[in-house]
Order: sequence, then C-alpha cells, then structure tokens
Amino acid sequence: MDGNGRWAVERSLPRTSGHRAAEAAVIDVIEAARSAGVRWLSLYAFSTENWSRPHTEVDYLMRLVRSVVRKHAPLLHARGIRCRFLGVGDPRVPPELTRDFADVTTLTGDNRGMTLTVAFDHGGRGDIVAAARSLIRAGVPAETVDERSFAAHLPFPDTPDVDLVIRTSGEHRISNFMLWQVAYAEWIFPAVLWPDFRAPHFLACLHRYRQRDRRFGGVLPEQNGDPTT
Amino acid sequence: MTTADGGHPGEQEPASGQGSQFREFFDDPRWAPALIRATVLEAAHPQVGAALIENSTFVMHPWRRLRNTLRSLHRMFGDDEPTRLREAARLNRLHTRLSGTDPRGRPYDAMDPAVRAWVVATLFESTVTMCRLSGQPLEQHTMERLYAEFQAYLAVMGDKAGHLPPTLSAFWLYYDRVVAEELENTEAMRIILYKLFDHLPAPALLSGLPTLWATGRAVAGPLIGAVTVASLPEPFRRRAGLPEMPGARTLMQGAYVTAGLARFLPDGWLRADAVLDVLALSPDSDDPRARAVTALHDRMRRAGALIRLVTPLPSEPRPASRTGTERSAEEFFREVLDQTGDGYLNWPDLAAMAREMSTRLDLAEAEETRLYDAYADWWRELQAALDTDGDGRVSAAEYAAAVPSLAGPALIRVAEVLFDVTDRDGDQHIDADEYRTLFRTAFHRDTAVSGGACTRSAFIGDFLSFMSGRRRSTPFDPLLAEA
Repeated sequence: MDGNGRWAVERSLPRTSGHRAAEAAVIDVIEAARSAGVRWLSLYAFSTENWSRPHTEVDYLMRLVRSVVRKHAPLLHARGIRCRFLGVGDPRVPPELTRDFADVTTLTGDNRGMTLTVAFDHGGRGDIVAAARSLIRAGVPAETVDERSFAAHLPFPDTPDVDLVIRTSGEHRISNFMLWQVAYAEWIFPAVLWPDFRAPHFLACLHRYRQRDRRFGGVLPEQNGDPTT
Repeated sequence: MTTADGGHPGEQEPASGQGSQFREFFDDPRWAPALIRATVLEAAHPQVGAALIENSTFVMHPWRRLRNTLRSLHRMFGDDEPTRLREAARLNRLHTRLSGTDPRGRPYDAMDPAVRAWVVATLFESTVTMCRLSGQPLEQHTMERLYAEFQAYLAVMGDKAGHLPPTLSAFWLYYDRVVAEELENTEAMRIILYKLFDHLPAPALLSGLPTLWATGRAVAGPLIGAVTVASLPEPFRRRAGLPEMPGARTLMQGAYVTAGLARFLPDGWLRADAVLDVLALSPDSDDPRARAVTALHDRMRRAGALIRLVTPLPSEPRPASRTGTERSAEEFFREVLDQTGDGYLNWPDLAAMAREMSTRLDLAEAEETRLYDAYADWWRELQAALDTDGDGRVSAAEYAAAVPSLAGPALIRVAEVLFDVTDRDGDQHIDADEYRTLFRTAFHRDTAVSGGACTRSAFIGDFLSFMSGRRRSTPFDPLLAEA
C-alpha cells in the first residue's frame, strides 16, 4: 500500500490526508478480492521500518488504523472474512489498538470465507528469526529441520505460499514483506498510487497473473493458495 | 417447597439430617437476597465485621467464597454424620486461625461462642424473614423445627448450649437486644452494602464479557444495596444511619416475591450448587458440560469483542489486553497475592491461600497445619525481604520493587508441602485424581506430565513459575486468581 504520501503531496495536501484516502482503496480491494474468489489476501499496512517516520505521522496512523478497524469490523464479519494481524509485537503499538486487533481476530476467527491477513508492524526477517527461536526452544535436532518443519514455526503457519504480490506506485522493492512466503511469488508493479487503486486495477492485476506461466524453477510444489481456484 | 409439609414438632428428631427443614431452602432463589441480608447483619457485629475485613477474601474472590460457603452448609445439613463432624472440625480449625484486634484496638476472635451464635442467628432470622417478606410465612411449628436445626448446628460445632436461647420466643428477645445494642455501622457492612456489588468481579464463565458485565453490574449494584437496606430491621437502620429511600420497601418486597415465584419452575431447574458450578467453569476445564460451555464461552467472547468494537470510542483508558501469558507485577499483586483486596499483602492474604488449598484438598488436621506453617514461614521471608518501610505489611509498590527476590527457600518449601499433601498416596507422583482434587480439572496440555502423572519437580516448577514468574495460564490461575 505505497504512495499515500506522494498522492497527498501531488494534491498539496498534508501527508495524513493521503493515509485517510487509503481507507477507500483498502475496502474496495478487499471486496473485489472476495468477489473474485481469492481465498487469501494479505495487506502490508505498516512495517517494522515505518517506526522511523515522524512521530506525529506514526501517531496519526495508529489512530486512523484504529478507527478504520472499528468501523469496518462488523461488515468484514458479516461478509464471512476471517481477519488476523501479522506482527503487532512492538510495545509502541498502543494497547487499545492491540485490543481491537485481538477483538477483530476473536470476532471473525470462525469465518470460513476469505482470510485477510493485515501485516502491521511486520518484518519478514523478524518472522524468520522468530521461527528459528521457536525451533530452538522446541529442541528440534538440527538434522530433522527441513523447509516444511521450519515453516511450521513461522507466525500463522497455515498461510500458504504467496502467489502474487502487487506493489503499487511503481516501487520495485520487497521491503521485508513476508520474505519466506514470497519465494515463488509473481510480482506486479502498477504505477497507480495506492489511494487511487480500485477494484478494476486489482482485477487487471489478477488477469495479468493468470496469463503468466508459473514454472517454479522447473519444480511444481503444491499451489495451495492459488487465488483462481 | 417453602411452607410446612407434614412433620409435627416432636414427631421427628429435631436435628439436621434426613428431611432437614433448612435443606429445603438450599435451592430457593429467595436465598440470594436473604444470604446478602444475613451477611450484612453478620458484618454489622463489631467482632465479625473486624474478622471479615481482616481475613475474608469476599471482596476479591466472592464467587469462590460463595461456593465454599454453600458446600459447607450442604455438608453441615447433610445426612451423613461423619461428614458433618469432619466439616465441623474443619470449620473450627479454620476459625481458630481468625483472631486479632480491629483498627480501634478491640480484640476479635472467630471462636468466641457468642459471636458464633450471632452468625447462626442471622442465618436463621434471615430464613424466617425471607419467607415472611415473600408472602409465604413459616408456620409456628416449622419455625421451631428450623430453630432446633440451627441449635443443633452450633452443637455439632462443639459450642455449649446457652449462647442461643433455648426457646424460640426467647430467641426473638435475644435477637432484638443484639440488633438494638450490639450492632454497629461497621466498615465491613458498608463494603458489602455499597462496594461489593459495584465492583463484583465476573465469574469465570462471564469473564470474556467485561463490558456487558460492568453495565449490568452498574444497574444491579445499587438495586441490590437498596433492597438489602430496606430489608434490615428498622431499629438498626435508624441507629446505623442507613438511608430510607421512597419505594425501596416496595422494591424489596417485589424482589422477594419474584424470587419466591420461582417455586413454580419445574424441579431440577433451580440448584444453587449446579448454577455456581457452571458459573465457575473455565473453558479449558474437562467437565462434561465444558464443551457446551466452551461453545457458549466462545460465542460470548465474540459477542464481547463485537460489543467493544461497536461501542463509540470511550475516553477512559482501557485495561491492557489480558490475552498475554505474562502479567505485570501490579496485576499479579492484585489478582493473586492480595486475596483480601485491601491493597496490602499481609498474613491474612497468605492464610486465605492456605485456607483455599486445604478446603479444596479437604486436608486432615496435621497436613493442614503443615501447609499453614509453610505459608507462615513464607510470610516471614516475604516480610523480611519486602517490607522496606517496616509497617508490617507489603504494599504493591514494595512488591513491585523487589519481585525477583520472591522465590526464596520458604516459597519452595510451600511448594514441597503442597505437593506432599496433594500426593495422597505418597507415591511421589500426582496422578489424575489427586490433580483433579486440587485443580478441579484434568491435566492440562502444557503441564509437564510423564506417564499420566505429574512429578514432584514438575509440580514445584509450575508452582514457582506461577508465584514468581508471573506466568498466566498455569493450573494455579483458576485456583488463586479467579473470582
């Protein structure tokens, strides 16, 4: 979800209004993904590196996220979407927000529709380190560790490999996003800024993804998270 | 159910046991207001009030306390003579430990026969009054039989006759005299009337719904207070300066009549102990009903989450999330250590823990004494290590400043003694039955269990990590922390 700041600057607005405009895009994309039959949707809302932004902006983001989450929680639940939040380990996340995240997770935990993972205060390397820690704590002998057993120690181990990553506003970086899961992901970089990103853009990305020939370097692991099925 | 059946006086042995008159009231919903009323009258007695304030856990752990009281009454008015004697001995041992002086320097002693007679008198009088107030007064001979049962109760406890008057007519003179001369507006009484129900913690079953519980409590708390005040004897209300509110009397009688109407419900719907058992069920218990309760609990948790999410943002700061497995020193102090809820850690707090454990394990005298001694040693250790300002008690701040030094040798000794007394058959393992007696649930998934039994080191490790590491979700949590 890149380009909020640039979107605001282009319109001579404060950066915060760019974040506010992003709300409409988020809701539109969730709805588009759900009706297109996507089973797993992840949104990268806030990275562990974003803490270095100006204090006021971070503060504003926290309050904004809280109000957005509270506003849309009943609707997400009504649509049968299972929500969960990846990350949220930093003590700087306000406890009220943590509480709301926990409440949304509890509320929608039994839903069997699309799974929406919101990466908030997330870092891909951090997750891998956490998995390694968990392995060591479990006392697993080194020889028995393979990719599958390692992945079982990642946060939300039921998350399948990512099939498609859409990075808006023309940025071409991974930015520490779900590093383990994106190993074989297809990448699409639309130039449109996130606040302008809408359902048609999302569907266009899906269409391009379907036309790609995914060979997985010659091997064919199970495509458990294929969005088209 | 409430009015007298056959049974003429003299025709039956006037003792508790089979066909006990009092037992017929056990599952009567009118008991709810009547028990509160009896407790208020009890607490208005200066000695009882002082003992309650100093020792009782009813502010922090009212549900646990209520369960223990009901179970004790069941045993005392049950059919089984050995059970009754055993329970009486247990109560006596428990009360021997409750003595001291109140803040004004007056001594109190829970073994004082006159005090004990008064406690029994309030129970008897409240039973009679609850029948009167709900419009179904007891007949004279029923009342006499009931009175005889309560006299027998005192006799089983080993008190000589004479502290309760021999006849019913003399009892009323005695009762009026105590109400008029001895009762006071004690602190314990004010806490029960005005604080307890405004701060009543949710029972385990409803702990997932703090918002709803707080809302209901805010409405019910003052009502319960008003109903109870209106049902107290007039001379006492005047002397204690309790408010007379218009309509309170009608409200009070309405409450009793409504509760009395519940006698038209089908049999088996109203069983006080069953209701309390269900309320105390936590979702990870393995009770047969737990699956249904877990489903219900999940649903309530979800409802609670939804309610919190759709409530407009409140201005007051919310309590930190309780989902974590660690708690802060303050939380641990409030939930576990400060059992009496007075804001300080003191000997009565630790005695309350020992009391709860020996009640659950139904310990014999020698083992009970060992457990209390271990706790007393721990208290001395705590006092020496933590009481920096030398006022004889440990405040939350003193505790928070010195947490790491908590797990000293005396605490380990407590863990060892607890293991010994829990391990009934002495095979150095706590098997499933022994475990269930203490924790009321089967082995938990994350308990270190080998071969269907818990070893000494695992048990002691668990206990220490609970008492010092401030870890949640150990089996000790429901035992010591829950309301």
